[in-house]
Amino acid sequence: MARPPLRRPAPRLAALALAVGLGACGGGAPPPRAPSERLAVLAPAAAETLAALGQAERVVAVGDYVTWPPELAARPRLGAYDAPSTERLLELEVDLLVTTAGVAGREERRRLAALGVETLELDTATYPAALGSIVALGERVGAAERAAALVAEIERRVAAVATATAALPRRRVLIVVGREPLFVAGPGSHLDRLLEAAGGVNVAADLDSPWAQASLEAMLERAPEVVVDTSDNRPGALRALAAGEWGRWPFLPAVAAGRVAHVDPWRLTLPGPRLGEMAELLARLVHPEALGAPSPTELDAPGGR
Amino acid sequence: MTRRTPRARPPLTPARRRALLALLGVLALAAFAAALGAGASAVGWSDVAAALEPGSLERAVLFEVRLPRALAAAALGAALALSGTAFQALLRNPLADPFVLGVSGGASLGGVLALLAGGGRLALVAGAFAGALAALAAIERLATERGRLSVFSVLLAGAVFNAFAGAALFFLQSVASLEELHAIVFHLMGRIAPLAPWELALLAAAVLGCGALLTRRGRELNALAFGEEGALQLGVEVERLKRATLVAGSLLAALAVAFAGMIGFVGLVVPHLLRLTAGPDHRQLVPASLLAGASFLLLADLAARTALAPRELPVGVLTALVGGPFFLFVLRRHGGGHG
Repeated sequence: MARPPLRRPAPRLAALALAVGLGACGGGAPPPRAPSERLAVLAPAAAETLAALGQAERVVAVGDYVTWPPELAARPRLGAYDAPSTERLLELEVDLLVTTAGVAGREERRRLAALGVETLELDTATYPAALGSIVALGERVGAAERAAALVAEIERRVAAVATATAALPRRRVLIVVGREPLFVAGPGSHLDRLLEAAGGVNVAADLDSPWAQASLEAMLERAPEVVVDTSDNRPGALRALAAGEWGRWPFLPAVAAGRVAHVDPWRLTLPGPRLGEMAELLARLVHPEALGAPSPTELDAPGGR
Repeated sequence: MTRRTPRARPPLTPARRRALLALLGVLALAAFAAALGAGASAVGWSDVAAALEPGSLERAVLFEVRLPRALAAAALGAALALSGTAFQALLRNPLADPFVLGVSGGASLGGVLALLAGGGRLALVAGAFAGALAALAAIERLATERGRLSVFSVLLAGAVFNAFAGAALFFLQSVASLEELHAIVFHLMGRIAPLAPWELALLAAAVLGCGALLTRRGRELNALAFGEEGALQLGVEVERLKRATLVAGSLLAALAVAFAGMIGFVGLVVPHLLRLTAGPDHRQLVPASLLAGASFLLLADLAARTALAPRELPVGVLTALVGGPFFLFVLRRHGGGHG
């Protein structure tokens, strides 16, 4: 469908991180029980993970923000994150609702549980949490082995990227996830962690949360040598290694060296099964001369998105 | 509640009035200088020489990041404070602020509709302004009874229209996609972003024009504080005055919301602080609000940019967090002033 690709709302993530910090997350490790049969998923990254674990056919409904993969995007809709339709959950006989930590709320979970719908909340605010979410989801749907294999594969690919960039110069990198106002990938986010493997140093590493609104002048002062801009998700937006609006700041080493990349948010912002690919893409953006610059199609979302 | 008895404080002599305005003018210039000289990077006034070099970091930070933002903050602060002063005078209600009369609801709704229609910045501003004018026209019409503008009905119609606009906004948010939701929330939150030159020129013209109008009508606004009948007895053309004040306050609020969303507290607190410290005479209150509003928002934005740097805070958080307690402190010291 024509809906633009998903971008993770940074303020919500900050709220999620807080909620997790306060212990509001009830995801954790559930006691062993029969795998759920009829699933509904509100979180886009979890939807992708379920498909990667071969569980797509068990997903009977999705949240409004799930637009990938195409087979799941066509499932019946439940509404937004914070307001899944209880009636539809019951009508579709959903027994497990997969959502993002903190969003559904404790009261909501309790109410749904009383109606026979379990809730699994996944925390994907940080890289380790994102991997943990894949494991937790796999265990809950009876695909623990495939989940473990998926995580191992991600870790293998990330490690391979780290090896490939080990001898290359570390470059200062700014990863932009929103421009009006400026939101960046901060410490602990999956992009921050993958960037490390990709031979980059996050110039926003001293922010206090994985996703945060940042001062433009402070980011300019840090003179990033690479800018990865995933902020624009409108159809027809620039997808290339090109200065774009960053050309306003010619003193930035990234602009001078032609290392400003405009990347579709779909390529980088959903912390699901594609984390390994994300590390590989980041490495080629940070070190295009050594690893080969990606083509515009490799920076865009797949067809129809 | 709400009817304000004019304070017993004697009016300032012309000399003292000039001195007060000069002081506030100096304060505004100092706030502007501070906003330019400080930020989340180490660039400051000492780097002016380096900033003369084209393409340098210093030039970008001083002239392309901070200067447009400081100009926007000053103009928005002045507009909001003037609007609040106008509405407090018109409604004779100390709780009035630029967002009380439905104009802000109209502007928010118009802006969000333009946003959802896929429009750019120009469409958003135009949509917001059109929404504000439509709200103003509707409220003015609803509140006019036999040729007289009923201030009570203005307030009531404004509150009802804002409630309606709020519900419509909730509806739009609940059917928006994630990206749209993101854009809506940031638009409504109120924040200071650089304005395009034409936006700044328009806002400055409105501030100066409405400021001059309200200052010239200062004596009549003072009379209005005694009630409409009292003002009539003093020879004030009350209907014209009310309409002029309503339109001026609404125009300023409409532009401010269209350009920057709802930045709260400035329009409520600044006129009050001035009334408490310098007296209720609108001949000085109006220009003083203009200058103090600019200073207040410049300093609030400076704090928003630097308090948790390199993180940036929404300016509305700062205006309320700092302005609120300070306001209560002044209120307490001056023993109120509202009957």
